[in-house]
Amino acid sequence: MLITQLKSKETIASLVNGKVFIINCQGCKEVSFPEKEAAEFQKKLSAEGKVTGIITTDYICNPENMKLRLSYHQAEIDAADMILVFSCGVGVQTIAEYFEDKKVCAACDTYPLPGFQGVTPLEYKCDQCGECYLNLTGGICPITACSKSLVNGQCGGSKNGKCEVDSEMECGWERIYRRLAQLGRLDLIKCPTQIRNYATDAEVSETK
Amino acid sequence: MENYTKYKLKSTEELVSLLADKDNLFVVACNKCFKEFKLVDEPDCDEFQKIAAENGKTITGSARIDFLCNKTQTEKKLQDLIPEGTENVIVISCGLGIQTMADLAGKPVYAASNSLNYRGHHGMALTRKSCDACAQCYLNITGGICPIVDCSKSLVNGQCGGAKNGKCEVDGNKDCAWEKIYRRLEKQGRLEEFLNQPVQIRDYSKVNFKVVNDYVKAIREERFAGYYGGVHPSERKEFSEHIALERFPEPQTVVIPVSQHVGAPANPVVQVGDTVKVGQKIAESAGFISSNIHSSVSGTVIAVEPRLHPTRGGDCLSIVIQSDGKNTLHESVQPHKDLDSLTPDEIIEIVREAGIVGMGGAGFPTSVKLKPNKPIDAILLNGCECEPLLTADHRVLLEFADDIIFGLKAMLKTVGAEKGIIVIEDNKPDAIELMKAKTADCDNIEVVTAKTKYPQGAEKMLIKRVMGRQVPRGGLPADVGAVVSNISTVKAISDAIRKGMPLIERVVTVTGERMKKPGNYIVKIGTNVKDLIDYCGGVTGDDVTIKMGGPMMGFALSDVNVPILKGSNGIIAIDTDHTEPVACIKCGRCVDVCPMELSPLYFAKYADEENWQGMKDRNVMDCVECRSCEYICSSKIPLVAKIKAGKNAVRGMK
Repeated sequence: MLITQLKSKETIASLVNGKVFIINCQGCKEVSFPEKEAAEFQKKLSAEGKVTGIITTDYICNPENMKLRLSYHQAEIDAADMILVFSCGVGVQTIAEYFEDKKVCAACDTYPLPGFQGVTPLEYKCDQCGECYLNLTGGICPITACSKSLVNGQCGGSKNGKCEVDSEMECGWERIYRRLAQLGRLDLIKCPTQIRNYATDAEVSETK
Repeated sequence: MENYTKYKLKSTEELVSLLADKDNLFVVACNKCFKEFKLVDEPDCDEFQKIAAENGKTITGSARIDFLCNKTQTEKKLQDLIPEGTENVIVISCGLGIQTMADLAGKPVYAASNSLNYRGHHGMALTRKSCDACAQCYLNITGGICPIVDCSKSLVNGQCGGAKNGKCEVDGNKDCAWEKIYRRLEKQGRLEEFLNQPVQIRDYSKVNFKVVNDYVKAIREERFAGYYGGVHPSERKEFSEHIALERFPEPQTVVIPVSQHVGAPANPVVQVGDTVKVGQKIAESAGFISSNIHSSVSGTVIAVEPRLHPTRGGDCLSIVIQSDGKNTLHESVQPHKDLDSLTPDEIIEIVREAGIVGMGGAGFPTSVKLKPNKPIDAILLNGCECEPLLTADHRVLLEFADDIIFGLKAMLKTVGAEKGIIVIEDNKPDAIELMKAKTADCDNIEVVTAKTKYPQGAEKMLIKRVMGRQVPRGGLPADVGAVVSNISTVKAISDAIRKGMPLIERVVTVTGERMKKPGNYIVKIGTNVKDLIDYCGGVTGDDVTIKMGGPMMGFALSDVNVPILKGSNGIIAIDTDHTEPVACIKCGRCVDVCPMELSPLYFAKYADEENWQGMKDRNVMDCVECRSCEYICSSKIPLVAKIKAGKNAVRGMK
């Protein structure tokens, strides 16, 4: 899941140089795509005679299908000086690779969502740390539920159960303590010190 | 295709030490997502059970669940699943599934797996391209090559200088991203622009989880509003929603199929050469579930022969009538007594005689619905019109409000229901306001506003949303005390009682981004679709798809020389959707949107394997063919066609 947000109108306007062909990706739009804002901007651009064609499709990161769809618009693409893509970073890169000779620009930024790796937005977060701590914490993730991602217990800064970094957030370690108490597993608290391995994907995931 | 499986089993040593002080294990494994869909059950569960058995552990049971992180579905699947005597629940899944189980299981939950640490793998389809969601897209200055994921050091201001022969110094198998960027920009003649670029500063500030959490909550609320699943396709109703109804000019000939409804085709009662008048019965109902057919024009029957049927994919016996242009009413068209003096049985007889069937598209004979064999609490008038583009019911609500209220009162009297509920989606505020004003003095009629979501107009969804009741598997609305009727159908009931006019015309929305002059028309049944399109100025460009109905559930017309039927609520001209299905990647979105809470991905897999029993076991017959799964499918698999094949095969199995 990715959330895309439109770059500022001024930024997009400064990118437009000559005639443009526009590609909108609504693949994750059930999750989020600034549909109305994008349409409004594109309408204005069309009125100025700067647009050779617009396609709105989904999953532009799906390569075979996208190739086919684009082939129906070859003339409009040829007539354009550049391609403006309204999608997440994956989509822009996919399109940029198809048209190596053409300027391909992103009109959106992708909202930072570390820890939200599920298919659709969920209340649970997994930061894909590669060494699941949930066994020691009663199934509450210390990496995402604690502002400081501490793996060896609370920092001591919480007040009335609220995090000192974000007072609207419950202290993750207090939640862990309560859950363990409920399960009768407070002995887990006494486990040896955990050391987090910050190695990246290639180093951690031998299968890759 | 790139697999990015999200977890792997922890090492045997770690598992052995994890299990050391634990016994009586229940094992839950998530079938992996985001990989090519080949296996129904992933092997990790067996592997774990083997390790546990070797260490002398008792396993009280195991379950393999798709999309464990789908909390709604997992919660249902878990009911009564964990046997007595279980002390510990072991979960094999990514961190999302483990946390879901930890919340739901009510017992100590332990992870037997680690999530894999892949950086930057976002996006729906399984491509090699990645995005790290950095929130400040650099692709515009790098020719579409991402410096964050493609450069080992995520440098944003050029190469580190360590590359050798174009290869990265961190990973010798990797091309230097900045060299790739340079080459591409050189090719595009953008080097000057690139080299003069000011220094980029990356914003590492911590994510505002509050924004994200609020956002996630809002999305989930929308997804679950009223009933599970559903989608929000672009509505595009603005083409025609403000255009007042217009009577379509008298057609010269009409082609009226004897089968426009669910059930037995009607039997023609006229012959070639007969003179007929408007409202005259020309074909008679052939059974309890069947319907009369009436002439929509006055003139001469010129043929009774098979003609192409718009929605059945073949020919159907049709009565062809040449209009004399006079529109002479048949003598049987006479107003009935007023509502107070009509008995329920008389009303049912009027509705049956008038050939009224469900006009939302399904075409179920309305008289049968009015004779439920169970007590009815409420009649729901379906004014949702959840299909994108269509505005026919919206216009009927605005322009025939009094007829609708009269028709509803007649229905309430007939089935003896206490309450009539008019349900309108919140994208039609003018209709809501009008109906509220018109029904202000009716104690037994209520107007309910429903938050727009497709397929809200499906009767089972509507009942769930408005009454909070679940129609049982294979059941009918009457089983939960409800009768659901479409807006146009109720208007037809009113016409039948007040004017004695059978169902011979209906409101049709002619629209779509490729239709030159969209509008809403009162059209006689049997009018040629091509004439209707021509009257609306035709279509723009080539490569246009014409559909009867809406974009979601409508039938694509390969030949537009077909008639308007009782159930034809729209004719739309839209861009042809060129798609090429690719293999299922188990993204799980079809499961997330299916309002009937099915797992459509299995239907595609099983249809290809002709495993009809498998489809039956996964309740393919419950599918309402709303096409939400196909709409959301990231692999563009024609799921509904596969489901229909499965349903046919399952019907043949008996």
